[in-house]
Amino acid sequence: MKTGVPSYPVAGRVVASAGPLTFVLRRRAAAVFLLLLALTAVAVVLSLGVGSTFVAPADVVRALAGDGPFTVVVQDLRLPRIVVALTVGTLLGLSGALLQAISRNPLASPDVIGVSQGAGFAATVVMSTDLGAAWLGPFALLGGLAAATLVFTLSWRYGLAARRFVLCGIAVALATKALTEIFIVGADAIDGQRAQIWLAGSVAGTGYPEARILLIPLLVLLPVLLWAGRAMDTTALDDGVARGLGVRVTQRRLLLGVVAVVLAALAISQAGAVDFVALAAAQLARRLVRAGRPPLACSAVAGALLTVVADLIARTAFAPVQLPVGVLTAVLGGPYLLWLLVRRTP
Amino acid sequence: MRTNRRLAVLAGSAVLLAATVLLSLAAGSRGIAPGHVLQVLLRPDDSDASAILWSLRVPRTIIGIAVGAGLATAGVLMQALTRNPLADPRIMGVSSGASLGVVAAINIFGMTTLPGYIWFGVAGAALAGTFVYALAARTRDGASPVTLALAGTALDASLTGVVIGVLTVNVKTFDQYRFWAVGSLSGRPIEVALWVLPFMVSGIVLAFGVAGGLDAIALGDDVARGLGRNVGRVRLTAAVAAIVLTGAAVAAAGPIGFVGLALPHLARGLVGAHHRWVMAVSLLLGPTLLLGADVIGRVVVPPAEVRAGIITALVGAPFLILLVRRGRTVTA
Repeated sequence: MKTGVPSYPVAGRVVASAGPLTFVLRRRAAAVFLLLLALTAVAVVLSLGVGSTFVAPADVVRALAGDGPFTVVVQDLRLPRIVVALTVGTLLGLSGALLQAISRNPLASPDVIGVSQGAGFAATVVMSTDLGAAWLGPFALLGGLAAATLVFTLSWRYGLAARRFVLCGIAVALATKALTEIFIVGADAIDGQRAQIWLAGSVAGTGYPEARILLIPLLVLLPVLLWAGRAMDTTALDDGVARGLGVRVTQRRLLLGVVAVVLAALAISQAGAVDFVALAAAQLARRLVRAGRPPLACSAVAGALLTVVADLIARTAFAPVQLPVGVLTAVLGGPYLLWLLVRRTP
Repeated sequence: MRTNRRLAVLAGSAVLLAATVLLSLAAGSRGIAPGHVLQVLLRPDDSDASAILWSLRVPRTIIGIAVGAGLATAGVLMQALTRNPLADPRIMGVSSGASLGVVAAINIFGMTTLPGYIWFGVAGAALAGTFVYALAARTRDGASPVTLALAGTALDASLTGVVIGVLTVNVKTFDQYRFWAVGSLSGRPIEVALWVLPFMVSGIVLAFGVAGGLDAIALGDDVARGLGRNVGRVRLTAAVAAIVLTGAAVAAAGPIGFVGLALPHLARGLVGAHHRWVMAVSLLLGPTLLLGADVIGRVVVPPAEVRAGIITALVGAPFLILLVRRGRTVTA
């Protein structure tokens, strides 16, 4: 990659500057990012084409441009849902990368540490009471934050040992799930069923309003995320070394943790619990880039890719029955978690 | 620890169990006064109370006793076998293996009755247990408590996902499975209890048979060998007993967590580490816990019922956190 500025004497990195801004580009990360982006585009086109009426890829592209006989099917029926899947995946991927980086633990992800279940519980409460649907998002957010805080507090004991943290998360998740179920059983039948479907994690029937709710906070958080990309490098260091460099480790970790939980709770508030995407996306990106910690941008795209592909399979594999995308990600994610456990040095 | 004290604990547990059984027979959407319960139990008549008692609450209570005893004993066996304080049929993924076995029995082999389910449940439990243990043993730090628990939880997540997936796709299976109602004691005919009992009894007899062997193994394999124990045979017998108990319990009531986790710890606290005593106390308190959870589930959001497995999860999760926080058991 030639950028016209003197290249940095570090292997695999290039310094690029545009006006007053200067970036350090990692060659491999950039290549992986572009590759994932291309794969995601292919998956989107495929997903737009497959369904009760098949639309050939070329026609999909034409329909996206507003041309040809399939404009309605592609643009109005299929595209909104896929946009939501993309956004949800992006948020989950980012959240997973942040959580894994700050806890230095490849097993950390919003659904393993109880964020999903906390958000799900709060959402169930909203659905089974008279509060309007407008409260769903804020409550889910609060529920996710509360559950995460609980897990952090409970597992803190002279620091945050990775596995104790994960196991406490699992326990909190189980208890929250049980509470949710009690609420569903106690609620009136229709509300209960609505909550149950919602909890399974699905993007069916969602569209631009949901996508907007997700995209606006993402844009607001973008500067923080850009900063986080650099901040995470020092957080991944040994605590003592980082402190020696003048970094306020605990505050920084706390801030990044809150951002991660907010991102995940937002995604869950719109699409329900889509399991394992955050876990898998961050790990996938980290392995592809061969970085020490999950790279943010690549994790985001990987999350979007995984969600769109999982939704495509869930939608079409057993047609006309549509599986909730969350069921599919759980079936695929469990073995992946097992594989991580077997491979990983403790 | 003195035998007198242990006997006192045993007697106290028995009284507690009797009280819970009475409560389980009396409580529900139509309450029956305990005095009346005893009267109708001894002399069935044509009253509504008698019909409710004999057709609904007696089978439910018997199944609760059988499943609670089975799960608690399975927990004792698993914790002894793996030397792991976090071992539990649910956490180790054995329960979800059993439920997948049951779903396979319904979906692939068209089974419709419990006698068919049970064997599939046991087979599923055996496969899942072996898988989790083999997998955890392959990790860098061996089958350590937390690794085993994490591997089991991960397997539980994906097997549960498969079960839900199959149920979403196949309406007929869903209908039967719903009837089988996961993690619940309600709505089962008395025959279910009769079919499960032989499995439970044989599992529990096996468990008591190897109790002495497990005491020896707790001292380390070499010491056990020095004491003249056949370590391999003790392990195998205990594993078979644990799997039979879990498989039959899940086939009867679906996966119910935490009974097997909490009870052995409680029992050890009360009567010390001898497995024979721990098993005896667990045998009495396991049904007490499960029936208690079932009764709470009946009254917490009337007129609906919450599954017993949900209440045990709610009670058991704080317990799991407590165990995890105790640094001694979990160092990793």
